[in-house]
Amino acid sequence: MKFTRRSALITMALLASLAAPMVATAADKLMVIITPSHDNPFFKQEAVGAEARAKSLGYKTLVLVHNDDASKQNDLIDTAIARKAAAIILDNAGADATVAALKKAKDAGIPSFLIDREINATGVAVAQIVSNNYQGATLGAEEFVKRMGEKGDYAELVGKESDTNAGIRSKGYHDVIDQYPALKMVTRQSANWSQTEAFAKTESILQANPGIKGIISGNDTMAMGALAALEAAGRKDVIVVGFDGSNDVRDAVKAGKIAATVLQPAHRQAQYAVELADKYLKTKSTGKPEKIAMDCVLITKANAGQLESFAMKGK
Amino acid sequence: MTTSASAAPTSGPAPEAKSSGAVLLLLKMRTLIALIVVTAYFCIMAPNFISLGNLVIISKHVAINAFLAIGMTYVIVTGGIDLSVGSIVGLVGMISGLLITHGIPLPFMDATAYPNVFEIIGFALLTGILVGFINGTLITRFSVAPFIATLGTMYIARGAALLISNGETFPNLVGRAEFGNDGFPILGSGTVLGIPLAVILMIVVALVAAYVAGRTPLGRQIYAIGGNERAAMLSGVYVNRVKVIVYIVSGACAAIAGLIISSQLVASHPASGTSFEMNAIAAAVLGGTSLAGGRGTIGGTIIGAFVIGVLSDGLVMMGVSEFWQMVIKGLVIIAAVILDQMQRKMNRR
Repeated sequence: MKFTRRSALITMALLASLAAPMVATAADKLMVIITPSHDNPFFKQEAVGAEARAKSLGYKTLVLVHNDDASKQNDLIDTAIARKAAAIILDNAGADATVAALKKAKDAGIPSFLIDREINATGVAVAQIVSNNYQGATLGAEEFVKRMGEKGDYAELVGKESDTNAGIRSKGYHDVIDQYPALKMVTRQSANWSQTEAFAKTESILQANPGIKGIISGNDTMAMGALAALEAAGRKDVIVVGFDGSNDVRDAVKAGKIAATVLQPAHRQAQYAVELADKYLKTKSTGKPEKIAMDCVLITKANAGQLESFAMKGK
Repeated sequence: MTTSASAAPTSGPAPEAKSSGAVLLLLKMRTLIALIVVTAYFCIMAPNFISLGNLVIISKHVAINAFLAIGMTYVIVTGGIDLSVGSIVGLVGMISGLLITHGIPLPFMDATAYPNVFEIIGFALLTGILVGFINGTLITRFSVAPFIATLGTMYIARGAALLISNGETFPNLVGRAEFGNDGFPILGSGTVLGIPLAVILMIVVALVAAYVAGRTPLGRQIYAIGGNERAAMLSGVYVNRVKVIVYIVSGACAAIAGLIISSQLVASHPASGTSFEMNAIAAAVLGGTSLAGGRGTIGGTIIGAFVIGVLSDGLVMMGVSEFWQMVIKGLVIIAAVILDQMQRKMNRR
């Protein structure tokens, strides 16, 4: 522990000494963008969107990833403080575990703008822009119910159960689906957002419940895993619904293999956060309430063609 | 049991000798017994558990872990450990994905070479062998402890996997017939007489590995190194060479697992294989491999892998929560090691 602290300090000191002359000469302001790992295209698009917008507004950027590790996130926020960032754009690593770290940034005079996930505190971040996961889930569930013909057995693949959004989406699904008594959930398994895990678990679920007609999944990577398992089993009749709006699933929706997904406007959300940060830095106010919900969009075969990298074309 | 045995007189046939012999036999067979008990339990409790189709699916899931665990057994028997196998799974998947999607650019000819599926498998195996060779070299030539050396390559290989695509997934790895690189999904989803290729491959690799371990000089040398490295060296075993071979085998086994996973998903994801090394170690330990080295069999490891696989698939079929699945898996591993220690105590007597 002591050793990590020290090495973190040394790293910070090095970064600070590197950054100091640049800040002094260029007078450019730095926006630090922190997201979960880019191996999920959703988070990658957040970072890409925020970075592009920040650069176009004349900011320097530093893009960092915390891999959903609250302690690493804490270190990264320390780095942002040490580099005297103008603002932090953050998709956080935990609703409770993030509060203290952001307070530290606030005390250092650095405003934070949250995207994608909320924290369990107000007044710590300047803005919390989240997709309306609940609204999105009800959209996905309504389409699922329609495609299932309002009846039949189905399975649910849940995300990582320690993650708030996994619970909110599942609740949104059930608040709609449970109104139809002929739709019966035969099993509910967590595949931890993972394609590999969803593949193996769907294969087992199909063995235990060969009669299922649908699989509703908490995100797109798990939906892709389920689809691979269904294809391996030669089952083309099973209705799959995902969540996120990734390009992989878009292609599967176009090909009729996945019934629908729900787009979270990741790209736009991140850009909006940067715009609010810019406004806040210039006028000391965003002019908006702290919590801002952005609605999700249902993606089916009809509109899949417009979807590209978590944004609808022409919008 | 131990107390009654220790009370027995050291000379002459003890009245407990017969019963302790039976207990010893039971302890020796513990993994197999565990497998039978677990399977029987799910046959009663889980719907449709006992069907040919499901046994095939379970074997397919076990195969992934079994490849890693076979290599891991060799490594652990020499007294080492290989933490890099999970990352090799990810790296190999990404390299295959890259080769299928983008081919190899030939800048001077302004063309792109698309390797066919067999060449891709070759590249993948080479990747695993290379990482294994690096592991072995670090451990033998530079005297880095196996735990540290493979921890380092674990991070490097995972980082490399992420760097290949900048973190993105290579989707839809079906290849194109006009480039002659189609057919990659067959490896993961192809079957011969209804048996998945992955399972057949697992059986072949396990048989070869068991033969090498039990019937060849190399196998004897692996056990000799684990039993007493200095004694092995003094009796003419090229310790370093054997160790490098062992890590190469482990890397190559991980490469096979990586190929099969990305072929099954028809996509390669840089985070795939994360923490697989732990499952492989668990399978080896469950199968009676001692982390101190010198002891362990491929057969035991395969049974260990099946215990883990049957447990996780059965619990999913019963609809048990993920959280309980983790607790149960942990308990089974600890119970296995406690039984292992009991057996060793009884053996020593």
